[in-house]
Order: sequence, then C-alpha cells, then structure tokens
Amino acid sequence: MSDATTSRETAQPAPDPTPPAPGSVDRGTVLASAAFGALMLVAAVLVIVDAVRLPDTTAVVGPAAVPLPVGVLLGAVGAGLLVDSRLKLRVAVSGPPWQSRAGLRVLALVAALVAFALLLPLLGYVVTATALFVAAALLLGAPRGWQVVAYGWALAATVFLVFDRLIGLTLPAGPWGF
Amino acid sequence: MERRRSTAAADDQGEPGAGRAGPRRRWYRFAPLAVAAVVTGAVVVTAPVDTAGSGGSALRDVIGERQLRIMAPAAPGGGWDQTSREMQGALRELVGRTEVYNVAGAGGTIGLSQFVRRTADPTELMTTGLIMVGAVEANGSPHSLADTTPLVRLTTDYQVVVVAAGSPLTDVAGLVSAMRADIAAVSISGGSAGGAEQILAGLLAKAVGADPAKVSYVAHSGGGEALTTLLSGRSTIGVSGVSELQSQIEAGTVRALAVSSPERLPGLPDVPTLRESGVDVELQNWRGVVAPAGISPEQEQALEGLLVDMTRTDAWREALDRRGWGDATLAGPEFEEFVRTEQDRVSRVLDEIGLG
Amino acid sequence: MDQLGLLLEGFAGALTPEHLMWALIGVTIGTAVGVLPGIGPALTVALLLPITFRLEPSSALILFAGIYYGGMYGGSTTSILLNTPGESASMISALEGNKMARAGRAAAALSTAALGSFVAGTIGTVALTFLAPVVADFATGFGPPEYVALMAVAFVTVSALLGPNLLKGVASLLVGVTIGLIGIDSQTGQPRLTFGVDALLDGIDVVIVVVALFALSEAFGHLLTGTGHSTVQPLRERLMLSRSDFRRSWPAWLRGTALGFPIGSLPAGGAEVPTFLSYSVEKKLTRHPEEFGHGAIEGVAGPESANNAAAAGVLVPLLTIGLPTSATAAVILTAFQSYGLQPGPQLFTESGPLVWTLIASLYVGNVMLLVLNLPLARVWARLLQIPAYGIYAGVLVFATLGAFAAGGTTVDLLVLCGLGLLGLLMRQAGVPVAPAVVGLILGPIAEQQLRRALTLSEGDPSILVSSPITVFLWVVVALALLIPVVLPVARKRRRALVNVGDGEES
Repeated sequence: MSDATTSRETAQPAPDPTPPAPGSVDRGTVLASAAFGALMLVAAVLVIVDAVRLPDTTAVVGPAAVPLPVGVLLGAVGAGLLVDSRLKLRVAVSGPPWQSRAGLRVLALVAALVAFALLLPLLGYVVTATALFVAAALLLGAPRGWQVVAYGWALAATVFLVFDRLIGLTLPAGPWGF
Repeated sequence: MERRRSTAAADDQGEPGAGRAGPRRRWYRFAPLAVAAVVTGAVVVTAPVDTAGSGGSALRDVIGERQLRIMAPAAPGGGWDQTSREMQGALRELVGRTEVYNVAGAGGTIGLSQFVRRTADPTELMTTGLIMVGAVEANGSPHSLADTTPLVRLTTDYQVVVVAAGSPLTDVAGLVSAMRADIAAVSISGGSAGGAEQILAGLLAKAVGADPAKVSYVAHSGGGEALTTLLSGRSTIGVSGVSELQSQIEAGTVRALAVSSPERLPGLPDVPTLRESGVDVELQNWRGVVAPAGISPEQEQALEGLLVDMTRTDAWREALDRRGWGDATLAGPEFEEFVRTEQDRVSRVLDEIGLG
Repeated sequence: MDQLGLLLEGFAGALTPEHLMWALIGVTIGTAVGVLPGIGPALTVALLLPITFRLEPSSALILFAGIYYGGMYGGSTTSILLNTPGESASMISALEGNKMARAGRAAAALSTAALGSFVAGTIGTVALTFLAPVVADFATGFGPPEYVALMAVAFVTVSALLGPNLLKGVASLLVGVTIGLIGIDSQTGQPRLTFGVDALLDGIDVVIVVVALFALSEAFGHLLTGTGHSTVQPLRERLMLSRSDFRRSWPAWLRGTALGFPIGSLPAGGAEVPTFLSYSVEKKLTRHPEEFGHGAIEGVAGPESANNAAAAGVLVPLLTIGLPTSATAAVILTAFQSYGLQPGPQLFTESGPLVWTLIASLYVGNVMLLVLNLPLARVWARLLQIPAYGIYAGVLVFATLGAFAAGGTTVDLLVLCGLGLLGLLMRQAGVPVAPAVVGLILGPIAEQQLRRALTLSEGDPSILVSSPITVFLWVVVALALLIPVVLPVARKRRRALVNVGDGEES
C-alpha cells in the first residue's frame, strides 16, 4: 500500500478514462491492461471449455457454434493486450498515486453491498438503503455527521414512498412496516 | 422533539454541511432532516390497512392475518403475470390485499428454484403451467413441480396451427403429406425452446410418423416475434396460442389450419381440430397455481377452497372473457394426477425431440 | 376516412382539464421511473394496471402514454448528468452528454436532448398517424435473414464507438458479446456459461451491466483516487442553447428520427440499435470530429432523438398488427385489452374514437414533456453541485433498487458488484466500456437471427442474400467497410494533384 499523501482536500476533477497522450504511458494503465488481457485469456478458456461441454443437438447450427469462435477471439485479443502491455512497460512512467488504503476502501464498499443484500429481507428497505448510502458516502469521503444519515434516510424513505406506496412495487419491509 | 435532539447533535459536531460553497442560512442544514421526517410520516400514514373480506374464513383459520403472496415466474405482461394479476383482482373481494411479484426468466424455472425454498409456508403461491413443465425438462432444472403442492388448474389456452395468407398449404392433409415427404423442409416457428409450441411440433411429427428430432423448429422469445418470421414468408407454418392470434386470423393476415383442442372452439367455429383432421394430437397450454411442498392437509384444503371460490367470482369470469382464456378449473387429487401425467408426456416428447 | 378530422376529434377528447392532469401525472411518473436504472415503463404500467381499472379508458390510456414517453425521456437526464443511463437506449447519450456536463455545458446537453426528444417524438407520432400501414408492411418484410444483414450493418458501424485504441475497443466489444452468451440458448434450451447458478439462466440484464460498468465503476474509481469531494461547475454559459449549438443540433435531430422510427418499428429492432447507428452517422458527418469523445453536441442530439423516434416506432406494429415487440409494448397491449381495445388490423375500424384519443394523447404527452423539461434543464443541472460522494451514494441506492426489481436475489447484487469491479479494471486500463454494452445488445440478436435463418434454410447460407432488403443492407456493409479505406486514398490523391498544380503555378 503506497503511503503517498492523500488528495482529500484538493477537489480535482474526476479522472478521465481516456488513455494518456502517446509518448507518456502511465504504468498503472499498462499493468491494468495486462491484467485485463489475462482476464480475457481466462474467460477464453472458460468459454471454450463450456462450449465443448455442450451436448450435441440435432439443430443445424448448434449452441456451441458461436461461443467457440468468440472464445478463440477472446484468447487472441487477450494475448494481444498482454504483448502490447509488455512492450509498453519499458517506456511507462508512474502516474498519479492512489489515495491511502484505496484497495481496502473498494473492498469495504463491496462488503457493504453484500451486507445490503443479506440484510434487506430482515431490516426492510428504508433502513438497509440508508445504511448503504451512509457507508458509501463515508467511504467516498463525506464529512462525518448526522447529516449524511438524514440525507440517506430522506432518499430511501422517498424511494419507498413513491415505489412501494404509490406505484405498488412491493419492497421488503422490516418488522416496523417500512 | 426529534428536531430538538438533532439540533443538539449539530451543535456538538459543528460539521460543515454537504460541502456546498457560499453562505448558507441556518435552517438550510435541517432541510434533509425535515424531508426525512415528513416522508417517514407519510410512509407510516399510508401503511396498508388490511381489509380482510368476509369470505376466506377457512383460510384465516390456517394462515391467520398474514397476507397471501403470489409469484408470477415471468416478466410483466406475460401469461403468468396476467394470470397472477387477474387473481389478485378477483381475490380482493375474498381475502383483501394480496401481493404479486415477478421472478422472470428461463420458462419459469428461475422462479421455481426460488419457490421451492419456501417450504411449508401456506402464504406463498406461484402460478405455473405447461410451459414450466417443458422448461424444467429442457433446461435440466434440478427442481420440478413434484417439489411443490399443486392446488388448482385455472385456465387453458389451446394452440392453433397457422400459415401465412399467401401459403400454398390449405389444410392439415396437405401439411401432413409435406411433413411425411421431408420433415426437415417444413420449418415451424413458435415460442421458446421447450415451450408449448415446440411440444406441439414434436407431437405433430410423431403423429404423422416422422422423427421428432428432425423437426426444423425455429424458437422465438414470444408469439409476436414468431408471427413476424411467419409473415415474412420464411417459415412454412407457425404455432401459437389461440388468444394471441385470434385477431390476425379474423383479419386474414394468417390462415388457421387446425386447433389443438378436443372440440372446435367457439371463437373459431370454422377451424377444425387436429383430431378431426386425422392427426391424433391434443394439447392445452394450461395454467394453474401451486403452493410450497410440506404444507399441512388442512392448509392445502383451505387454499384450494379459496381458489375454487375465486373462480366463481364475477371479477374472474369477466377476466376469462376479456383475455379469451378457457375455464379449466380442476382441483384436489385430480389436478395432482393431471400434473403427473403432463410431466410424463412432456418429458417423453422433449426426449424424442432431443431437448430432454 | 378523413384522418385529420378524426385526429381533431381525438384532440377534443384529450384536451380536457381532467385528461391534461392525467397526462401530467403520467409524464411525471414516467420521468421518475425512466431516471431509475432497472425500473422502466413496462414494470410501472404493469403495477399500475389494477389501480387504473377505476379510471375511464381514455384517462388510463393518456396516463400510460405519458409514462411511456416520459420513461424514454427520463433515462437521458441521468445519462447526461451522472453518466448513469436509466435505460439501455440512453447509454449513447452518456458518451458525449456526460463529457459536456463535465465541461459546464450540462444545460446545453439537456436542452438538445429535450428538444430532440420532442422533435423526434412529434415526427414519430405524425408518422404513426399517417404512415402506420405502410411502415407495418415494411416491418413485416423483415425475417431472420434481413435481421442478420441489419446486425452486420450495426456491427461494422460501431467502429465509431471503439475509441482511439482499436485493440482495446475490440477487447471491450468481445467482453460484451461474451456476457451476452450467458444464459439459456433460446434455440436449443441449453444453459451456457451459467456454471450451475440458477439466477444466471436468464442471462444478465442489460441494465445491470450498464449501471455496473458506467456508474458503479466510477464510484469505485473515486474510491481509488480519493476524489470524492470533487464537484463539477454546472453552468458556464448564460444561454442554454447557443445559436451554433442549435445549428449543429437540428440536422442531427432529423437524422436520428429518420433512423429511429423505421428501425424502432421493426419487431426485433429495439430502441438501442438506432442510437448506435445515429452516433456513428453523426461522428462521420460532423464538421467538428475533434470534439467527439470530449462532448460533441451532435453526439447527444442524434442518439437521443433516435431513441424517442424508436419509442414511437414500436407502437406501429403494436397498433396495426397487434404485435407487441418489447416488454413495454406487451404490457401496453394488456392495458389496451383491459379496456376492450383490440389492437390489430381492425383496430381503427372497431375502436376508432378511443384510438384517436390515444394518438392525440401522445402529442399532448410530448408537448407536456417539453414544457416540463426545458425550463427544468437548468434546475437538473444544479444537481451536479452535489459532491461526488453524495451522487454516487445515491446512485448506489438506485442501482441496488433496480437490481432488486430485476431479479431480487443476492446473486443479482453480486453480479452487479462483480461487473462494477470489471468496469473499474477496464477504466484503469483505458478500455472504453460503451463497446461492451453494444456487444451485449447486438451479439445475442445477431446469433439468434443467424441460427434461425440457417435453420429455416436447412443450413444453406444463400438465404442470407435471398431478398432485395438483404442485398441492399449487405451493400451498405460493403460501403461502410470500403469508404474508410478508399476515401483517405482519394483525398490524398486529390491533395497531391492540388499540390502538383500549385507547384506548376509557382
């Protein structure tokens, strides 16, 4: 985990997803494309294995006819990305650092989503959605305080009012009825 | 009271608000709290009042004041969704508010796999039908209707075999000889793989002595899409539910060759049945209701009684008329027996088609 | 029959204060559900059906028409402002629209979307009024081989969406096609890539993928970079739509409509395909190619009108042949039937006055949307002043609500989460996410129609070029492939000739 100074106070604009200008290649981008290429290779294997496993049918064009070429293409492009990243890694320079414990924060948000899924049937929509809102906002760097809870509760209760009570999409309710 | 408490909290912490720039009035920071309080109040005030009707008292004995929930194992707008929502309307005068929810996908098998987990809960119902029986076979689903308690059969929709208006085929005899000559050359467009239409296609092939595995069946996501393939003149015949095609047949855009009912249908008096045209096939796309496995016999009886009462309500009779569904009420052991024979027949046909 | 007179009678029916109120309620609800990913007009109308039984038929139909058009419109607002498309058909609007919003031009993007939607919706409704039978004839001429050719056209033109790095664009497209393979194969009923998970049998909902790749990955991205406090300057200009904006927008509106209405009326056309085509066309024709990818207004105006024209197009097969071609149309069909309207060839003769009230209410709903949304554009744009942590926490609440409405299981939320992480990786790697969604939408249609066509012909590939429409579409494919190769060569040669001429003069 890099111990770089966090940029919590600086309100810089969101990172642009387009790759940086040619010449200066960001090391992080190169490593991420390599990881993406590797992921595609794994997916290629899965797709091909799954397609081969499909039983023979009497159909003129069977269910495996399209997955097989897609799997091969996935593999080829994935390998291409890996080679491309290997070549670019030599000229890559370090980009802007992540904030501290960035990985942990991502994991915490994933955990919040999973907890949301598990608690929803027990505690009802309004409470769990408020909790999810608060967790996400704090992880993203909202100032701590009751106001985050108030905003989250207002949003969740409004959603519940509109969708459950007015439109009739039944949302899970806790023991207290909402 | 609540407001005063939060004022104290705000004074303690003195946090900046939501990061807004510029001067703010003091009341502004309490806006979210006020909104939250007002909306919560509205949610509490609008809490549904259970208006239990006078009927269904046998049901109240077994489930108490709990609300019935009906799962429609299909997307909004589909047959099971329509059935569930019509039931919801007809049940209103018997037991008050019921809840309908959709779990769409894979011919109802996704809904079924969720439903079988609700073991022994008599407040959970699910609509089902022939298509689910077929999908369970075709998708190799680990669960089947044997893992539920069948309650009643409600409706039926027969299938109709049609050709495009310009097709050279004019009757079932012509179709039979074409199928006997080269079964693969007679392409049949219909609904999803393993659905009622493909089952009928397999039964037709078998009845004329051809190999069901060689049928050129073109699956579509619904009757509407299948109709477009037929209208574009690419497929030899189309198979679809009568209620889906009635207006097309009346307008002459498609020509009906036969229906899959035991007798001619009142809506299509000029269209012969398959059986009277010499093809020994009969198929109904039935829909019914099941409860989870493991409910007690008293609960089962009370639910069956309620649903049979429901089929006698004016709201339900009117719904049958409006949708063009046939009344096929069948309850108790007869329905369970019916489900078993349907499972056997469907699994045999789909095996022969090569989908089993 | 005098259609104009009947239409005027329809207006007389629709323009009562009571009906106007229902239209207002309809477009408001429609906009609200359109904004929320995963909850669309189909589900809303299905849920409201039992309530509206107590209304008289014309009021209910006006309400539904409002929800329908409002839903199409609402999806684009979140696309532009938050990069979170509410419906898959408004994904393309996010590409340029969100860039514009970040450059302080949110009001311009929202205005061109509102005006484009209005123009397209109005032209589409006019076409529905007067050309429905003709368009229906055209639409029923489309069988599987024609769709294969149409998908080929769509695939060759999406190169405009692939971004500057071709390898990464293709990688994204392939990932989308692979996600599209998940679920039960509709021709044979075989589960593919489901690994025994029940919730995957029906495939992964496009909306879940769009929300995960666009919005969730952005929330994750803010977590990595710690830019949760960042806000966007929403309004940098006084005018909502400058003269040059307008001059660049109106041809795009018309082109978008011309693509959207006919393709929308095709039974398997859908509202997404014309938005892809419209974006490609605008990128090819623009005089400001350098702005594409950084907030070109044509890239919002075209797809947005294509989307709304397609929404009107969907009603053509529904009303004229009784063919519901989308989930929403299926629900609307149910609604029609509840009120004794039998859509189909005899609709106009059998239930005349009600049909004309419905069509009139479509016009009314359209005007109502414009009146509501154009002044509100600046208000909506101010939403951007909320810091990123507030926006993305809210988006998460809505995204999980959508995932709940779509499937309602823990697996759906896990899929959402996993795809969000995939989106984060793609974002970090500089892989564009839009092609993945394009592949996810086009891939399954192309595969199923190809296999249907080959089943119909017993494996003979000549069926793919067996009609005039297919031949025409394949010629378009060939031109689309050849022009980028031939045109630069021709241009270079011409420039060389001019240079030679210059040389001789001097």
